[in-house]
Amino acid sequence: MRLRLKGGRVLDPANGENGVATGAVRDIEIEDGRIVAPTDHRADAEYDLGGDVVMAGGIDLHSHIAGGKMNLARLLMQEDRRAFPEMPGNFCGCGGGRAVPTAHATGCRYAELGYTTVFEPAMVGANARGAHLEMADIPNLDTGAYLVLGNDDYFLRLLAAGAGQEQVNAYVGWMLEATQAFAIKIVNPGGINAFKFNARKMDLDEANPHYAVSPRKVLTTLIRAVTELGIPHPIHLHGCNLGVPGNDETTLATILATEGRRLHLTHLQFHSYGTEGDKRFSSSAARIAEMVNANPNISVDVGQVMFGQTVTASADYMSQYRNRGLASPKKSIGMDIELDAACGVVPFEYKDKSFVNALQWAIGLELFLLVEDPWRIFLTTDHPNGGPFTTYPHLIRLLMDRDFRNAQLATLNKAAQAHTLLGQITREYSLEEIAILTRAAPARILGLTDKGHLGPGAVADIAVHREETDREAMFSTTRLVFKNGRLIVKDGVIVELAQGTTHVVRPDFDRSVGKDIDRWFDEAMGLKAKHFRVADGELRHGAGPTILKCEGVAP
Amino acid sequence: MAGAASETIHDVVCGFCGLGCDDLSVEVEGRAIRAAGTVCPEAARLLRRLDVADRAASIAGSPAGFEEAAAAAHRLLAEARSPLIGGLGTDMAGAGALVDLATRFGGVLDHYASEGLFRNYAAAQRTGWLSVTLAEVRNRCDLLLVVGEDPGATWGRLFERLFPATPLFADAGRKVVFLGGGPGDKAKAQLSGAAVVHHASDDPVAALEALASLVAGRTPPGESFGGISGETLASLAGELRAARYAVVTWNAADLGDGDLVAERATGLVDALNVTTRAGVFPLGGRDNLIGVNQLMLWRLGYPLRTAVRGQASTHDGALFSTASALADADLLVWVSAFRPEPPPDFAGKVIALAHPETVFEKEPDVLIPVGTPGVDHAGTVFRMDSIVSLPLGALRVATLPGVAEAVRRIAEG
Repeated sequence: MRLRLKGGRVLDPANGENGVATGAVRDIEIEDGRIVAPTDHRADAEYDLGGDVVMAGGIDLHSHIAGGKMNLARLLMQEDRRAFPEMPGNFCGCGGGRAVPTAHATGCRYAELGYTTVFEPAMVGANARGAHLEMADIPNLDTGAYLVLGNDDYFLRLLAAGAGQEQVNAYVGWMLEATQAFAIKIVNPGGINAFKFNARKMDLDEANPHYAVSPRKVLTTLIRAVTELGIPHPIHLHGCNLGVPGNDETTLATILATEGRRLHLTHLQFHSYGTEGDKRFSSSAARIAEMVNANPNISVDVGQVMFGQTVTASADYMSQYRNRGLASPKKSIGMDIELDAACGVVPFEYKDKSFVNALQWAIGLELFLLVEDPWRIFLTTDHPNGGPFTTYPHLIRLLMDRDFRNAQLATLNKAAQAHTLLGQITREYSLEEIAILTRAAPARILGLTDKGHLGPGAVADIAVHREETDREAMFSTTRLVFKNGRLIVKDGVIVELAQGTTHVVRPDFDRSVGKDIDRWFDEAMGLKAKHFRVADGELRHGAGPTILKCEGVAP
Repeated sequence: MAGAASETIHDVVCGFCGLGCDDLSVEVEGRAIRAAGTVCPEAARLLRRLDVADRAASIAGSPAGFEEAAAAAHRLLAEARSPLIGGLGTDMAGAGALVDLATRFGGVLDHYASEGLFRNYAAAQRTGWLSVTLAEVRNRCDLLLVVGEDPGATWGRLFERLFPATPLFADAGRKVVFLGGGPGDKAKAQLSGAAVVHHASDDPVAALEALASLVAGRTPPGESFGGISGETLASLAGELRAARYAVVTWNAADLGDGDLVAERATGLVDALNVTTRAGVFPLGGRDNLIGVNQLMLWRLGYPLRTAVRGQASTHDGALFSTASALADADLLVWVSAFRPEPPPDFAGKVIALAHPETVFEKEPDVLIPVGTPGVDHAGTVFRMDSIVSLPLGALRVATLPGVAEAVRRIAEG
């Protein structure tokens, strides 16, 4: 099967091509689901793009799309589902919800925005099989999941006993393979575990009440583990003290703690708060951005807050429990999970007239605009925590259109306006920068060499947008989306459902660790390790994973 | 299969009661199966298979080929105005196929054991709750409050699983308080390492409510609550506050006022978490109830008791319960692969995807006997805590289709 997309302006920052800037148009050719060098062979189908903008399919490296917490959120937020019923169309009829859409709606809505790959950033090991079952039912997207480690009793027990790095690495390798994960996520390092022992906060150098291990130790040990195992994506960190005014100090200390090793700070907006002003809540975006700019080993995603109803779902039960008084509507679910992690689900309505919410919105945008290197910052709302992913087109316009941004700012809580630099920031993102943030850079930091670009050999995940001056309109409707070379969206409407794949990593590790892990499962968990392990055939309805070998990365 | 060698298979996963035991030993001789060693009576009964030929499919009681029966079922579905897809005792693959069936032909989806689940949801959906999973109870819980009758009768190995010889963090002074019925001999034996106390109560709702007040520092008016003296409850409240990790458990299916028990238990745990740690551990989940419910949530956005019609779904915990939906249904698709659970009384047409030993009061219009997940074929089931799921293996060569295969064939026609 050969397709030809004729006469598009190709925007492919990974390969240094910017047809939008140069006005040059060219053809893209696809053979059997991959992009190939142009030929003069007859194509089975041709699409005349007429100068439209052609980009690789979008990649979201941090969006909560599957796993037990999302089902708890669905259960708790039935009103979200009822308010957003199925979209019309002949496909399945099982889509709905906005803050916590169904698997079907997740796949369809993302595809409509031109996204073709999305990573679930918090898969709890105990729930891995369930999360993979759920991901298999998401159409049109390739997925993968980051395994939550760093609060599990097995690991903390190892650290407390003074285990060597080799032993930790073996455990991390075993867990990645057993849970079919793509990367390691740390959520509130050691804090989720400490909450089980009734600690209510956890600073970077505080000792766990039971294990006497600090979050710094958890972080640095796991950073070393992923480095030495050669896992392409660095530790994906949700740091200590999420949402706490004054957590900027923790965030800065966390960056220093890496000692130059790679670290990805996720939903940085929630970790960039100072304590200045009457309300003891202020923006530290400038300080944090300066530190990010100065440390090329650091990458971040923003977790932009968008106004409206959503639901927050996180493994950080410690923080979620602390915030549950702010729930709107007033209800929440929390869960301690299997000597492994936890979760907390708290509905939230971000209000533009609220000082705190308005400032959160501004802090996120300040981060986007003050972090200079678009290859190290990623466009996210931490869906659904900061807001649903369906708000991305609006967010893109906020980044690209200063007048629009300032007009929005002018409508917000007045005190918040006075506490943000945002009005003075003149930067506007270019289309190329948006393509970096949402395509080229995530592929690079995830180690996906055949994604996020349009060069020969790339997976033919392609989004075609008509250029419009209203960037929100432009990114709301994708003219064409191809998944593995199959047309799945035409003029903003889903025309076909494609089965995606699940990306996993497979590092080499010392398998002698298996004996100790077997004993741990038998004695502590009351479950056999072999039944905890998720087999390849359990993924994607038997199709199995797409395996990324870990061949080493720069530390 | 006389003369076949007997083989003992170890570490068999049991998918029946929702507790998810995965250390069973099973003797297999040809098509005959029996449990060996440590096993609860429920698993022993449901794993037992004789070396007999499986029952054939049938149409109106007359034997028929699988294809023929599936085609007849397809016709019934195509003609139906308002099907109820009930029972839903099936693994995850079967559940997925049944949701596909509902989206294609329309129908109400409910599991035969969902009553307890919805009693719990009365609290969980309104206010939420703080809950725990099995391994947390097993290792952290120093004070377990068991509300209602001894659940050991339904979950034969529950206390064995929750009270291992060497828990990680709650090794000294573990205590179990039965609030309601007393512990049976089996529970007492499994709890030999813990202090066991029984406070008889005919109204655990009142007792839990008073406990929550006392924990929050209020003294409720009255001298006795649910048949337990205020003094006893005050002392228990003190113990709960002093506990490092208290857990409240109950079986809502067994309690007529299970919805109120769930709500009061949630209130008690909320009050405790202000100063210490605590959680609820609701019991339930037989025959993959929890897994089917999980799949419904991610596929449809609604839990069980949801109707799919015209490519849209609606949830109503009362209207779309099996009992209520049957009043409006003209076709019942009854699915019970784990056990010979017969369909409820129903005057309309019945398609049964049933355990081959099911005894029917009236022959279904179409019967397709199906294999049991974990016996005849592999599959996946969820444990009662909704987080952990387990792979079931096949113990023998299947001669019957699994639910997923049967449903796909029915859909094809």
